Amino acid sequence: MTELNLTTAPENKEAVVSLLFQLADDDFLYSFRGSEWLGLAPHIEEDVASSSISQDSMGHAAMFYQLLEELGLGSADSLAHLRPAKERKNCILVERPNGEGDYMNVPKFDWAYAVVRNYFYTAAKKVKIESLKNSSYDPLAKVALKINIELYYHLLHWKTWFIQLFNSTEEARERMQSAVDRVMKDFGDVFSLGADGEQIVRLGLIEEEKVLVQRWKAQMKPVFESIHLPIPEIPSRTEANGRNFEHTEDLESAIATLSEVYRLDPAATW
Amino acid sequence: MSILEKELEEHEQLEQFMARIEAGDKIEADDWMPEEYRIALIKLISMHGISEIMGALPEKEWVPKAPSLRRKLGIMAKVQDEMGHGQLLLRVAEDLLKPYGKDRDDLMQDLFTGKLKFHNVFHMPAKTWADAGLIGWLVDGAAIITQTNMLNSSYGPYSRALHRICAEEVFHAHHGESIIMALAEGTEEQRQMLQESLNEWWEALLMFFGPANSDTTGSSKQDITIKYKIRTSTNEELRQSFFTKYVPRILSLGLTIPDPTLRFDEEQKVWIYQQPDWSKFKQIIMNNGPRSQARLNLRRVSYETNAWVREALSAAAI
Amino acid sequence: MEQKKTFYHEFEVFSKRTPSSPFQHQFSLLAPNAEMAMIMAQENFMRREPVADIWVVQREHIQGLTREEKVMLKRLDNKEYRETKGYGYLKKKWRYYQQKMFDEKEILSWSGGTKHD
Repeated sequence: MTELNLTTAPENKEAVVSLLFQLADDDFLYSFRGSEWLGLAPHIEEDVASSSISQDSMGHAAMFYQLLEELGLGSADSLAHLRPAKERKNCILVERPNGEGDYMNVPKFDWAYAVVRNYFYTAAKKVKIESLKNSSYDPLAKVALKINIELYYHLLHWKTWFIQLFNSTEEARERMQSAVDRVMKDFGDVFSLGADGEQIVRLGLIEEEKVLVQRWKAQMKPVFESIHLPIPEIPSRTEANGRNFEHTEDLESAIATLSEVYRLDPAATW
Repeated sequence: MSILEKELEEHEQLEQFMARIEAGDKIEADDWMPEEYRIALIKLISMHGISEIMGALPEKEWVPKAPSLRRKLGIMAKVQDEMGHGQLLLRVAEDLLKPYGKDRDDLMQDLFTGKLKFHNVFHMPAKTWADAGLIGWLVDGAAIITQTNMLNSSYGPYSRALHRICAEEVFHAHHGESIIMALAEGTEEQRQMLQESLNEWWEALLMFFGPANSDTTGSSKQDITIKYKIRTSTNEELRQSFFTKYVPRILSLGLTIPDPTLRFDEEQKVWIYQQPDWSKFKQIIMNNGPRSQARLNLRRVSYETNAWVREALSAAAI
Repeated sequence: MEQKKTFYHEFEVFSKRTPSSPFQHQFSLLAPNAEMAMIMAQENFMRREPVADIWVVQREHIQGLTREEKVMLKRLDNKEYRETKGYGYLKKKWRYYQQKMFDEKEILSWSGGTKHD
């Protein structure tokens, strides 16, 4: 399938755009949550290391937004900053706050939640990126090849934290288990391709949800076996499907924060 | 204590030590050093290190809010570096603290109890995006001046950490310049935001170099640090150097420096300026500045909330 | 080895810039174990440079020299016999035989194979 017929036919372009928004919004919000942690991680060396992962992920989001810009959807910056929650396609998991409080005030951020969310999300991202390497939309396949390079470290980083904390104290194990429960509750739309899913798969942009889910489970299996836990079930339904513009209040407040300065004057150069 | 050390009289050791310093030798962590030297280094470097960690906070407030993808990336990398500088410096301080059986946790506790102070500038609010830019431009500019002054410090580990830090400060300077340049060349509102930021920060910037001498505030470490060749210039020399380097740049952007008395005296070859309120400085570094308690609280809450993580991985077996 | 229960173990970090370059000491970091030290090392000290390999070494495992042991490093400056400067007279000898002396520069230049000129 050539690039030409993918984006010249309106219904095809729509599918490409829909998938790109899912990928871009996911990484953008994921990185935003990571950036809130900056300076507040449990250990200084870890703060420095994990900030690189947030930066890489923002870089990935920028590449996806750039593809949208090239398709005439508007500038990457306006797409990232100005779209209201009801136009966003990120999964629910990445919009959840880091814990109680906020980064300006009494940040009771939960490191167990950060580790589990980041690990599970990155494992899912890795599965998708592997599939996207063979995407029929060539610009996306090229971007996937690049992003894939950085995912090995991200995955190793969070997997190491995940396994070590699970294998440590009773308290840590309890906190981690609780985090796994909370993360899995929101995992239902992570692999969802939303209302445009059928068209996305039919065009060969990415493989179908079922296949991706199976790969994720296969990837997680040895890790869960090593900590003597069953692989948690991915819920078939979640309270909201972010791919279909359904979101929580947390996304609204995240957007208000991340666009606070940009919105002062979207026409200005910052 | 080793045989050799027993043989040497204290004053003989000191003489040898001073001779090494005079000869430009670098002192290493496990070398003999006079208590006064060790204590001066611990005070200086732990304060420097913890200031980086606390200094990450005012800019960090603007990290998630940075107004474009590129700015978000740039300021994340910049604040990451600040944490990284804290890491380098605290490692140096921690090694000096070893004979006292203290580690990083003790430094954090000293910060929380107010025993360990941090730089005056990081007690100030960062109210606008322009403040984030101005910190990068001028606070980092001031920091570059004080840090390059110690680049060849007689203490080897400090000197090596500073070499790493100063290399990254070049990026910080450009990062800050890039933000303020966009504002200076921007809309009327952006220019105004930048001017207000300069007005807000000017006094704190002057204070950053510390009082000219101990008469002003009752204490100054600069004499000991110069004696041991930890640094070369005095506080006032550094402040003068800041004026020389930055006043022309500030003015070139059409900004007004909020000190009508500021001028370069051609005869005396010094900058004449309005002294900051040093009693305010004293209050600020005693953790009574506008954001002192809030920032300490931020640091304390995040440190304590995640204490379980450090506890969990503290198993004796490696 | 008897170890204190602490999160803060000291690790020295070494890295290679390219596959063929030697390991170089970078700095030290604190980590609860070697695996953690490893996942933090590159981003702490080599964020802006290429890295081909990393070692993290727990500081306790490094055998160093104490102050008085460092005295053992001193030696006399009378060992010309192990250096080329102890054989400088050969230059004159070879000249007598109308040959050029193979000095260090010449010998190392052979690394690319023999040139026929």
